[in-house]
Amino acid sequence: MRLNEDPAAFEAFYRGHVDAVMRFVVRRVGDPHLAADLTADIFLAVLDSGHTYRPGRGSEIAWLYGVARNVVSAQHRRTAREAQATSRVAGRRLMDDNDLGRMEERIDAERQMRRALEAMRGLPEGERAVLELVAIDQLSVAEAAATLGIRQVTARVRLHRARRALENAASPAAVYVEGQA
Amino acid sequence: MSNFEERLLSALKEEMTMRTAEENMAVQTPVRRGSSRRFVGLGAAVAGVAAAATVAMTVFSGAAPAYAVTKGADGSVNVQINEFSDPDGLKSELAAAGIKSVVDYLPADKICKEPRGEHSASSGRVQTRIGKADKGITFQIEMGQIAADQTLVLAISRDQANPGKPPVSTALQLIKGTVAPCVETAMPALPPPSKDNGPGLTGRKDDSKGSGVSQSSDNQ
Repeated sequence: MRLNEDPAAFEAFYRGHVDAVMRFVVRRVGDPHLAADLTADIFLAVLDSGHTYRPGRGSEIAWLYGVARNVVSAQHRRTAREAQATSRVAGRRLMDDNDLGRMEERIDAERQMRRALEAMRGLPEGERAVLELVAIDQLSVAEAAATLGIRQVTARVRLHRARRALENAASPAAVYVEGQA
Repeated sequence: MSNFEERLLSALKEEMTMRTAEENMAVQTPVRRGSSRRFVGLGAAVAGVAAAATVAMTVFSGAAPAYAVTKGADGSVNVQINEFSDPDGLKSELAAAGIKSVVDYLPADKICKEPRGEHSASSGRVQTRIGKADKGITFQIEMGQIAADQTLVLAISRDQANPGKPPVSTALQLIKGTVAPCVETAMPALPPPSKDNGPGLTGRKDDSKGSGVSQSSDNQ
């Protein structure tokens, strides 16, 4: 089964994961319009990379979060204007006032997570990536390792180091993150 | 009830349909007509598929009854289809001629979803001529062209109300082993038909292992 060729399979995948994807996005951006664009971009990227998709629960999550991470980090490297120009489905145009309100609620609900992410900014990239997926996105260490394409043992070491670093920083956000992890 | 999530899903599904149509357009190569016989090397490749050929034809001609399966002295089998109305009848005629087949007649705007199964690999080049007969289509299968484990899979899209009218699209392929049942799907846009009075032949080939089915159109 090819996710990008079978509309029924794609719909099932979309319905199963759209909520998680939106949560992933609003933990990282605070603008509801941009959040809608990124949600659309992530699923467009799912269509683009559909041929690399292998069904199966564990790998499915890792695959999707891998795609989502790429889309969001690519967005950080571009201006919003560029992002709009390159996307064939502009998420923001699919939102009505009601959706905008719901998106803002989602963004509010994840405020603490965005602060926690902010607190991790000083960590080395490799460690931060693991902690982000485990503490913020609630992935298991195995899923986080698969998402990042690293070995589980490597992920565990990085996670440990990242937590240690945050403990030493002892900021309130770091304590919160520790509680979540 | 409509909301962002539902609208996004619809937009993404539209995008999927558009992409599929574009991909099909991209691998369709219009064939200019001139000589009475022309061999068309069908290009393009789809990953993981060994060898298959799909020929989409647009023909303009009159109608006539039934189908005919005849065996030539050299063991070849000639198939002439004039009316696209009795797939099971054609199937049993082909079986009588020693050809295992799956025949599907579809509405004019539908084709079967690909792939239908494992395409026959490395059986050398298979020559089949698809010609425009006076009334319908004809094709010829040479002796030994279809191996014991292969099935001739024919899918024809035509006007249901006028089964004698020439088909909108004809897909002919050899599938090794089990053949998936035809799942109807929307037909991608075709390039405009050729101006002269013959089939506008567009070829699409899935060929990653070298062997293939090559088609020649034949004005009869």
